[in-house]
Amino acid sequence: MNEELTRRAWIQSLCGGFGTVGLLGMLASEEARGAPISHYLGPHFPAKAKHVIFLFMTGGPSHLDMFDPKPALTKYQGQRPDAVNLRTERRTGGLMPSPFEFKKHGQSGIEVSELLPQIGSTIDDICVIRSMYTFNPTHGPARNLIHSGTILATRPTLGAWVTYGLGTENENLPGFVVLAPRPGGGELWHSGFLPAEYQGVAFDDSVAEPEKMIKYLRNTALDPEAQRQQLDAVQALNRKYLNSFGEDTFLEGRIKAMEAAYRMQFEASDVFDVRKEPEGIRAEYGETPFANGCLLARRLVEKGVRYVHVFFGEGQVWDDHKEISKNLRDRCPDMDQAAAALIRDLKRRGLLDETLVVWGGEFGRTPVSESGDGRDHDPYGYTMWMAGGGIKGGLAYGATDEFGFKAVENRVSIHDLHATILHQLGVDHEKLTYRYAGRDFRLTDVFGEVVKDVLV
Amino acid sequence: MWGSRALTCFFVCVLAAIVPCAAQSPGSELFEKTIRPTFVSKCYMCHSSQLKSPMSGLVLDTKAGLLKGGARGPEVIPGKPAESRLVQALRYTDPQLQMPPTGKLDDKVIADFEQWIAAGAPDPRQDPTGVAAAPAPLKGMSIEEGRKWWAFQPVREIQAPKVKAPDWPTTKIDSFLLAKLEEKGLKPSSPADSRTLIRRAYIDLTGLKPTYEEVEAFASDSSPNAYSKLIDRLLASPRYGERWGRYWLDVARFGEDFGEPPFPYAWRYRDWVIEALNKDVPYDRFVKLQLSADLMPDTPRSDLRALGYLGTGPSYHKDARLSRDVILGFATDDWDGEIDAVSRGFLGLTVSCARCHDHKFDPITTKDYYALAGVFASTSAAERPVFDVDPQTDTRFMWVEDRLWELDLRVRYLTELPGTKPDESAQKVAKWLAEMEQLKSEMAALKDRYPQLGRHVAAYGTNLPKPRVSKPNNLNQPREDPKEPFMDTVYDAALYVDGTDPDITMLVRKPGEARDLPVFLHGNVNAPGDPAPRRFLSVLSKNPDEMFRKGSGRLELGERIFTDAAPLTARVIVNRVWSWHFGRPLVATPSDFGTQGEKPSNPELLDDLAARFIAHGWSLKWLHREIMLSAAYRQSSKPRPDAERVDQTNSLLWRMSPRRLDIEAYRDSILQAAGTLDDTMYGPSLNLDAEGNSRRTVYGRVSRSNLNTLLRLYDFPDPIQTSSGRDLTITSLQQLFVMNSVFIQKQAAALAQAAEKEPDQSAKLRTLYRRVLGRDPDPAEMDLAMSYLNHATLAQYAQVLLATNEEIFWQ
Repeated sequence: MNEELTRRAWIQSLCGGFGTVGLLGMLASEEARGAPISHYLGPHFPAKAKHVIFLFMTGGPSHLDMFDPKPALTKYQGQRPDAVNLRTERRTGGLMPSPFEFKKHGQSGIEVSELLPQIGSTIDDICVIRSMYTFNPTHGPARNLIHSGTILATRPTLGAWVTYGLGTENENLPGFVVLAPRPGGGELWHSGFLPAEYQGVAFDDSVAEPEKMIKYLRNTALDPEAQRQQLDAVQALNRKYLNSFGEDTFLEGRIKAMEAAYRMQFEASDVFDVRKEPEGIRAEYGETPFANGCLLARRLVEKGVRYVHVFFGEGQVWDDHKEISKNLRDRCPDMDQAAAALIRDLKRRGLLDETLVVWGGEFGRTPVSESGDGRDHDPYGYTMWMAGGGIKGGLAYGATDEFGFKAVENRVSIHDLHATILHQLGVDHEKLTYRYAGRDFRLTDVFGEVVKDVLV
Repeated sequence: MWGSRALTCFFVCVLAAIVPCAAQSPGSELFEKTIRPTFVSKCYMCHSSQLKSPMSGLVLDTKAGLLKGGARGPEVIPGKPAESRLVQALRYTDPQLQMPPTGKLDDKVIADFEQWIAAGAPDPRQDPTGVAAAPAPLKGMSIEEGRKWWAFQPVREIQAPKVKAPDWPTTKIDSFLLAKLEEKGLKPSSPADSRTLIRRAYIDLTGLKPTYEEVEAFASDSSPNAYSKLIDRLLASPRYGERWGRYWLDVARFGEDFGEPPFPYAWRYRDWVIEALNKDVPYDRFVKLQLSADLMPDTPRSDLRALGYLGTGPSYHKDARLSRDVILGFATDDWDGEIDAVSRGFLGLTVSCARCHDHKFDPITTKDYYALAGVFASTSAAERPVFDVDPQTDTRFMWVEDRLWELDLRVRYLTELPGTKPDESAQKVAKWLAEMEQLKSEMAALKDRYPQLGRHVAAYGTNLPKPRVSKPNNLNQPREDPKEPFMDTVYDAALYVDGTDPDITMLVRKPGEARDLPVFLHGNVNAPGDPAPRRFLSVLSKNPDEMFRKGSGRLELGERIFTDAAPLTARVIVNRVWSWHFGRPLVATPSDFGTQGEKPSNPELLDDLAARFIAHGWSLKWLHREIMLSAAYRQSSKPRPDAERVDQTNSLLWRMSPRRLDIEAYRDSILQAAGTLDDTMYGPSLNLDAEGNSRRTVYGRVSRSNLNTLLRLYDFPDPIQTSSGRDLTITSLQQLFVMNSVFIQKQAAALAQAAEKEPDQSAKLRTLYRRVLGRDPDPAEMDLAMSYLNHATLAQYAQVLLATNEEIFWQ
């Protein structure tokens, strides 16, 4: 009742004035009460994490050269024991040892390859899951699987489910942000049959200037004051129209949305500007697109954005069908530096506890060689890692077989991963449903078990 | 097969059957030591009597269940481990039969199982009385029960109910609505004023607004038939097809690509839809043409464009290097997409729910599902010439081009990656290249009659060995010139997947052949069950045993939709059309008329209208007129607190529901106000963001893999699947477009330029008002504008008007 009275009073004030008095103050106080405009369901139980940052390595990074040491590959180099006769995308040769040395790191002593010294140095905050598996050996379907739980391109993506389930904490920013160099597509962050407001909003992190990153963010014709005057003119007409038409949720909602958009220009310009970070912090992350993405992800979760999905590079960069040794040596340092910086930075700010960081690709790579010095796709067993958000640090969980082809111990499917991510956000993956086309859909379909062993 | 799709279904801890008894024999000791714990930890999650539908009907947590086995018979043959399916499954020797799916058990454990079975498989458990071997599988509604479902009943004209205010109704629709309103003690709203009404009708039928002059002429026309004349005029406008064609394209999940390669001629299907609606092609024919124009006698060649409905449907890329199983899996996903589009789009039924199990709620079985899937497995997409070609050459050309496409791709794969046996690969490549040359010269030899055919296929097999699939997906530049005289269609050809070559999987199309699929148990292509001959959904069939006999069965499918299923089909389209007019449907779930959908808010109205729609030859224009001439449609949309208290969501239609314009009407009306609208009809699509694209939005490119930002911002439905209607949202990002986009700025500038011709400031402002809002400003608005213009330009004020709620609001 009380709320209804407030609303009526607000509408009356809206309709009463007809001058050029800005709505800003009034709306700001309305916002300050923290009542989100969007519909949201809220958590099912107390959450460990409030935000997710997913670092996605498109193309399928090689677990065998980064996180999953397999001495047997050296011992049986060039051979093809029966255990590796699993059909992948392409024809493969004999076993190929990793050219990189693995070393124990931290108190946990988890082995990480020489390619990743920085991640190695934060390994005690990380839970390395060495027993991931998925269900398709090709990129498109496997990417749909990790993003939406099915090979079909029709279902809502993880970030959409999360924002549908939990809403956002900051109405001036999208709840589901995607960062990628020149993001195209959209199928990996679409909302499927969930309402369009839950789709990811993609920004180009290969540039540092917010106005280049965000379409329509900056008004190129007017300065903020002139734009305010223009908006006041619009809103004056809008209020007059509302007054003559009568109470209407659309008319009222659009007046609010315009004010929110006006503020978003400045808030987004600020939060999306990595150049506002101290020199030292930027240096810690690096200045690559992925570094910008990681740093922006931190800035965004700080401002209440629910889910940030950062793509490494453009295209299927981790798809090392050949020359894997050289490629990884070139590519890993940037990734290593930025991902580790993100964890350290979140931790220093006390944000790591409430932010779940997830790292991985659509699958791993085969222990058998392809084209001589490359590796083919391996959906049967690969590595992903998680940090923060109530996940045990310094834990190596699960294992692949002797050669690293197939997950055999404590296997974790992509559905289990999804269930675990939702669980940390306080969401029961079996209860987060959406009624569509005659039935209730879930991110995890009829699958998924929370991986309890990795939880604090 | 126990269903390898099953991973960890509903995990249930089943401890009920533990029996405290001492081990009497080595076998039962083994049972307690190894067998039972393994069952508990590895099997019960899919094979427990506590589950609603245990996989394959097999339950292992009861003695009776273990004895009986599952759908494939007993799993354990006491004393004979080698013959027991359970052991075969555990051994992982048969790739079709591997359990548990999460990974092979330790050899030691498997040895224990063998030993236990050899010892006679003693099972010391005692089932509590009343525990069945396997519970009856969860079934939806039976077919018999289903035949009684409201949506499947015949439609008939119903006498208009008696109402207390007989003066209000102008059509039969009104009587039905008024009766419900009166039941709730509500009165309808007063009629909308004529200026509001003409704007409503224009937007509704054409997606554009009336000019100021048209508004004024209508407002001053006091003749009694002014309004019905207006409706007739708008229905005759070619703009009508552009507006209503787009609605249909939402249902048809129209898109111009799905990854690579794109459908270069998809626009010809879009154009056909627009043309057909403008011609008021009866809805039954309209749909049948989209399913089977090629099989209908005496169909003009230009109507084959209708087949783009199937021919441009999403089709997953089938990488020839993958195994037969994976490729076949993709093919079944394609068929599933067609079934979903057809069943939800035309019939309002969620048939896809029956892919892995009988529909859990509706009377639809897996057999129904695979009977329909067979129709699509017997249908192949193909590029077809738009010009007349004799039928034999037509089919041959489509098959040849498809074959060339397949071979070209495979040649590229094997040339780029010759694999471990380069000699063999080279031989295969040589053989395929020879076949390609032969096919190409066969087409080239037709040059006297059909010179375009040879030219169209000439590029295959050239510029090797770059695999075409790895080409970047450049969305502004389709691979082929979309103006080439071809169309994306389908033809009858059964698809098979040949996995005999371990290097490369072949898709084999057999033109003129049809195939029946088996029921794939749990949707698993490796678990074929009973055959499912092609036929229509049994619950809707007058004679459920009547199979499809003509080719793929598309023709018969289309026919059944309008004979056996006619009442349902009519209800579904009438409900959609109603919803596009009123902003809310009578059945709140337009694509689900099954038991999980909503019931109609006014069933008599829906039935009567559907019956009369059929009686009027399925004419959509008749339906528009019937709806728009109603008093209900002409009501004011103003809020009324008295009515809101009773019916907040306006489900009883006590007023017209006001709405936001959809993106097409919004963008088009901005262009129209600015005077920049290019109203050229038809032709290849252009990206909406392309420089200077000022054509109507319906002609903008619709990419499934990279949907235009503006469309995405304004709730355009995902073109991968049939849409049951758009949710019109209000978001901040939409407002950024309105405030800051170059598009809006350009249109505002064009608008201002048009007004600059006027002699003075107030005349200029009047021009802006008339063009954007179709009316003159009142004195207060004039004052506001004047004071704004003290420090701003006319173009900036033009943008103010384009940004107003009044501009985007449809009352």
